[in-house]
Amino acid sequence: MKKMIIVLTGVMVLSGLVLAGTFASLADRIEANRIAALYASLERVLPGTDPVYEELDVEGPTIYRATDAGDIIGYAVRIQTQGYGGTITMLVGVSPDLETIRGVEFAEQVETPGLGGRITEPGFRGQFAGLDADEPIEYVLNVAPDREENEIQAISGATITSRAVVRGINATLEPALETIRRQVR
Amino acid sequence: MADVAVHRSITTEFMKGIVRDNPVFVQVLGMCPVLAVTTSVANGIGMGLATTFVLVFSTLIASTVKGVVPNQVRIPVYAVVIATFVTIADLVLKAFFPPLSASLGPYVPLIVVNCIIMGRVEAFATRNRPGISLVDALGMGAGFTLSLMVLGAVREVLGSGALLGVPLFGEGFSPMLVMILPPGAFLTLGILMAVFNAVKAKNDPVLIRT
Repeated sequence: MKKMIIVLTGVMVLSGLVLAGTFASLADRIEANRIAALYASLERVLPGTDPVYEELDVEGPTIYRATDAGDIIGYAVRIQTQGYGGTITMLVGVSPDLETIRGVEFAEQVETPGLGGRITEPGFRGQFAGLDADEPIEYVLNVAPDREENEIQAISGATITSRAVVRGINATLEPALETIRRQVR
Repeated sequence: MADVAVHRSITTEFMKGIVRDNPVFVQVLGMCPVLAVTTSVANGIGMGLATTFVLVFSTLIASTVKGVVPNQVRIPVYAVVIATFVTIADLVLKAFFPPLSASLGPYVPLIVVNCIIMGRVEAFATRNRPGISLVDALGMGAGFTLSLMVLGAVREVLGSGALLGVPLFGEGFSPMLVMILPPGAFLTLGILMAVFNAVKAKNDPVLIRT
């Protein structure tokens, strides 16, 4: 009985120590990887020659401000939406005057490969650049989207995913832009 | 099995994990990662090596401490040991192979419930010396990794038209999407299992009768 308790406790303590040591020695590296991945995504929606991204201290969705040699080159809003397979996390870049969408980047998504997963391809992702950030985005199926009407083409066979992306942007972008206008300026 | 196994040669002990007792095609263990992550060869190799790492160290420790651990707390002790190595594997992948870690997702932490590990610990490591347990674990790990690679290769070539991420066919190739979706995993596994067992039976006439 006594031996049981001693052995089990000993193994637990030892395991805890080993894990604490491993985590302590790798935590910096893991954090650096996370930031590098975030920077790479930010750089794709708000490219610049030597951009610096900083997170704004605001409530609601996370907002990043991109500056290049002191000039603001845009803002990026982190938007999460419920897709077909799970949560889709994306970064939406907007111009410094907050009027035009610069680009959309998908940071995390678990949509069906080959169907909803195609949102990460330039054919879908690229449609958002140049759209009006102030107006809601509409999606169309099987017809050519009218850019003037803020339309994008949904992926055929992945309407749920396409709709989730559009709805996520429509629901989160406008309030986020409002936050930027109010708190930052 | 206990005492006989000690006397068997190292080669036999290693090779049985690859052919005779192959964890995927013969023992049909650890099906969750087998089916879920084999959408590409790289995923298969990554999952195979991570599992082998956990398997090797867990069986090594289990066979070393088996005399000290009271029988009643055997399973909890091994579970803690396995969970420790799984967490180490997960942290190492996150720190040094972030893209692989991202594509394997939750399946690395899930190695903790992979029955191959507890299976080998219980069936082999607790009854054999550390040396031969290590050989057993390496053989099982190699068998698991190779099986995942083959599955990953078939599914990646047919489902994505690529091998190790390198496109094999021209622009006109339209991949069989179903192969990288869950049904493709079951179809490929079933066909490969049939082929594996047919070849195995041909070389081992006893199997045909049983």
